[in-house]
Amino acid sequence: MSLVKQVIETADEELRYLSPGEIRMIQNFCSSGEQRIRIASTLAANEKNLVDRGSQRFWRRCPNTPSNSGNLRKTTSCQRDQGWYVRLVAYCVLAGNQQPLEEIGTVGMKEMYRSLGIPIANWAEAMRCVKQEAIALLGETDAAEVAPYFDHIIQTLS
Amino acid sequence: MQDAITTLINSSDVQGKYLDNTGLEKLKSYYQSGELRAKAAIALGANASTIITQAVARSLMYTDITAPGGNMYTCRRYAACIRDLDYFLRYATYAMLAGDPSILDERILNGLRETYNSLGVPIGATIRAVQAMKDVTADLLGAEAGKEMGVYFDHITAGLS
Repeated sequence: MSLVKQVIETADEELRYLSPGEIRMIQNFCSSGEQRIRIASTLAANEKNLVDRGSQRFWRRCPNTPSNSGNLRKTTSCQRDQGWYVRLVAYCVLAGNQQPLEEIGTVGMKEMYRSLGIPIANWAEAMRCVKQEAIALLGETDAAEVAPYFDHIIQTLS
Repeated sequence: MQDAITTLINSSDVQGKYLDNTGLEKLKSYYQSGELRAKAAIALGANASTIITQAVARSLMYTDITAPGGNMYTCRRYAACIRDLDYFLRYATYAMLAGDPSILDERILNGLRETYNSLGVPIGATIRAVQAMKDVTADLLGAEAGKEMGVYFDHITAGLS
């Protein structure tokens, strides 16, 4: 579930040691460790803020949506899930790839929300809003590390 | 397989939590050891066959095991022995890179003792060879990386005994 694991499993399938390029990938990954920990900690500390602000943005864009219908349970569930996806993005930043998202949160996501009667396009819009808040929070350099994971979530929904 | 990072993420996820400070400290020390692990992996990959040759020379070569009637007598059995040592070294290298021994359990150790017993492969001699690999790699890699690799060779030994 991390870049290290992914690279090792590829080498193992071919019964060989890691190639210089693969070792370089692990080195680069580890040398950006401080940044990864900083980003994940910032996301953790600001999850509620990201979700609250993201929701306000989302409801301005999609006022007619279950989480904005006045049913508090729906609002809470929607925001809880948004928070979970922020957490999974934080895992991905630490792992260096999208596997934590796939294994925990994106494989089957569309089918699950569809069966729950959630409008998929609205959910994608909600994730776009959280992404924008995350970018605003983190600043350009750190945002470049998280944006692809939000994009991965949004692409899974399309 | 697990690695230092995956293990921490999985245990946080079942609680629905972000990594706590203890977890982040563990990750930090893994990231910081990345350079050491990478250099060691390069050296091990480049010297794999030499390591095996030297380890066999130190542990098995000049004992009864290579003489007629011994378990490494006949080229076929000798080759099978060094092939296995080669596997051990490669998987120990993977485990060292991952910072986690679980790949050794999954790919090497599960059922190995039973397999060796049924094939008549002597466990004691295998352990001597693994320990010799540990010494040879420590000489090659230096104290710090050698100690880290030692953890995984010891894991193999413990799994066999």
